[in-house]
Amino acid sequence: MNKLMTTGLALALTSLLAACGNNNTAATNGAGTDNAATPEATSAGAPTELVVSTWGFSEDFFKEAVYAPFEKEHNVKIVVEIGNNAERLNKIRQGSSDVDVVYLSDYYAQQAINEGLFETIDRSNIPNIDKIYDIAKAPLGEEYGPAYTVGRLGIAYNPALVDGEVGSWADMWSKFDKNLALPAITATAGPMIVDAASLVSGGTEFNEDGAFTKLKELDSNVVKYYSQTSEYVNMFGQEEIAGGPIMEMYFKDLQAAVPDAKFVAPSEGAYAVMNTVNVVKGSDNKELAEEFINWQLSQEVQEKSAKAKVDSPVNTEVVLTDEEAVGVTYGAEVISKLRKLDMSFVNEHISVWTDRFNREIGG
Amino acid sequence: MRMNKRVLLLLLPGLLFLAAFMLVPITLTIASTFVQDGKLTLEGYLYFFRDGYFNRILLTTLRVSVVTTLVCMVLGYPAAYYISRASARKKSLLLALSIFPLLTSPVVRSFSWMIILGKKGLINSFLVNTGLIAKPLDILYTPTAMMIGLVHLFLPLIIITLLGVMENLDHELVRAARSLGASPFAAFRKITFPLTVPGLIIGGILVFVGSLTAYTTPALLGGKERVVSTFLYQNAMTLNDWQAASVIAVIMIVITFVVVGLMNAWANRLNPKG
Repeated sequence: MNKLMTTGLALALTSLLAACGNNNTAATNGAGTDNAATPEATSAGAPTELVVSTWGFSEDFFKEAVYAPFEKEHNVKIVVEIGNNAERLNKIRQGSSDVDVVYLSDYYAQQAINEGLFETIDRSNIPNIDKIYDIAKAPLGEEYGPAYTVGRLGIAYNPALVDGEVGSWADMWSKFDKNLALPAITATAGPMIVDAASLVSGGTEFNEDGAFTKLKELDSNVVKYYSQTSEYVNMFGQEEIAGGPIMEMYFKDLQAAVPDAKFVAPSEGAYAVMNTVNVVKGSDNKELAEEFINWQLSQEVQEKSAKAKVDSPVNTEVVLTDEEAVGVTYGAEVISKLRKLDMSFVNEHISVWTDRFNREIGG
Repeated sequence: MRMNKRVLLLLLPGLLFLAAFMLVPITLTIASTFVQDGKLTLEGYLYFFRDGYFNRILLTTLRVSVVTTLVCMVLGYPAAYYISRASARKKSLLLALSIFPLLTSPVVRSFSWMIILGKKGLINSFLVNTGLIAKPLDILYTPTAMMIGLVHLFLPLIIITLLGVMENLDHELVRAARSLGASPFAAFRKITFPLTVPGLIIGGILVFVGSLTAYTTPALLGGKERVVSTFLYQNAMTLNDWQAASVIAVIMIVITFVVVGLMNAWANRLNPKG
């Protein structure tokens, strides 16, 4: 009897702990408490509910600058569902959620498109699309949602720990000494590093074998393949690393820890990091969702979020001072130099790359 | 022992809950691993066990879990013994202190360890500044860092389990042994230890299973070394390969059962009447 109980207990614990692995999947109602009491709701009948699925960073900013004005204007109650890309996409896959609008990085949005999880959008309902950079208008095809922010992946470094200046992707192979952090292959930036390694290996065409040979050479200099940017920021502050590829939006955190820190767009080109907004298939509020996307692209929201350093703007009417532009990917010239990965190509190859990365390199 | 049949009905809600939310999903997960393209096959498992890379991950995981369990046993036993003999007021204070690690999130705990174990961290700064070593040690991002994090996380489990057993220990037995001429060590070895073995084993099982399945701590402290749970997460969440993830999950369940069996056998040898 005793033995049986122990076994059962152990099994229960296994499943319990396994479940603890993703402890932030629970949907949170981000808007409810603040806005339930607005008088508008009562005068114009019950508000429509719009479910928005997003990451949950800068939640307060979104609540105040993005959701609240939209709720007021359209008599809507926005319910927020929070989690990382993979978790939220899986929920939509299972069909167990009633999400209307979903924020996803381009890589995951491409997966959703391949599986037919998105509505095609009606661009005439989103006039602000005409005001955004070309690169952001239809990153995954005309039928699907735009990118509401385009950031870039470059190299940040601590000048005190690096020989000379870093100016290109190739410098990662020569100027760092056992103090480099690289993104994990499964992180958003992982495929970009494979592409950068292919560039450094020579040739203009993508060369998988060349890329992996190069990455293997670099492995002994890598302290950690990071999956969370917070890990990078922490390692940088602790001088555990001298630098490595990171998104520009996080540079302000690095500077807070190391005031001399530098961010460079490598001469071969920094990579475009795009986050998209889309309407989920089966949404009852498709038009409202499209209006919401239009609002997210408006000059007002875009400028506010750029100034708060929440997201880099795509709306070309946004004007920032030099100071406001620090840590923000901003300006037509900057955007025009970005390298953009083909997400269908990445999605086709990612399992092979992940496997090779695991086996040949370490990750 | 006779039990009223109606009393058994009281078990029903709990059993139904377990069946619906644990037995059924686990059975489905296990069943799904034997089917590929509509055919019954062991291919999923053969693929993993023939794969040197997966075997290496598995061995790292087992090594980390076994060492963590042993260290927890060695550190936890004297601590629990001391707490069990302390006065009531001191006892509740010590107990609260030892449970404390469970109250903070694994993420916060792991980040604290990064600050302590890093190249410029507390330990290395101290060792370098005092001249004990010339170059900082590589502790962070190694399996050692994983084990340190896991011991910190799971030590409370073994202390609590052992404490439960030790508090019910009849100290008259020890006194009787002493009065009959046994040395303190002999009394401990022949009486106290065998009687507390069940607590040690259950605590050990909890720690082992916990370390085997831990995700956050190895992911944050482990550097380039992978463990099975991070590998499972990669397959399920980023690659969307639920078949592979299920196979790995079943392998983990089987390992758990085998280890629980072995530890029970060991407990029976140490304490046949337990």
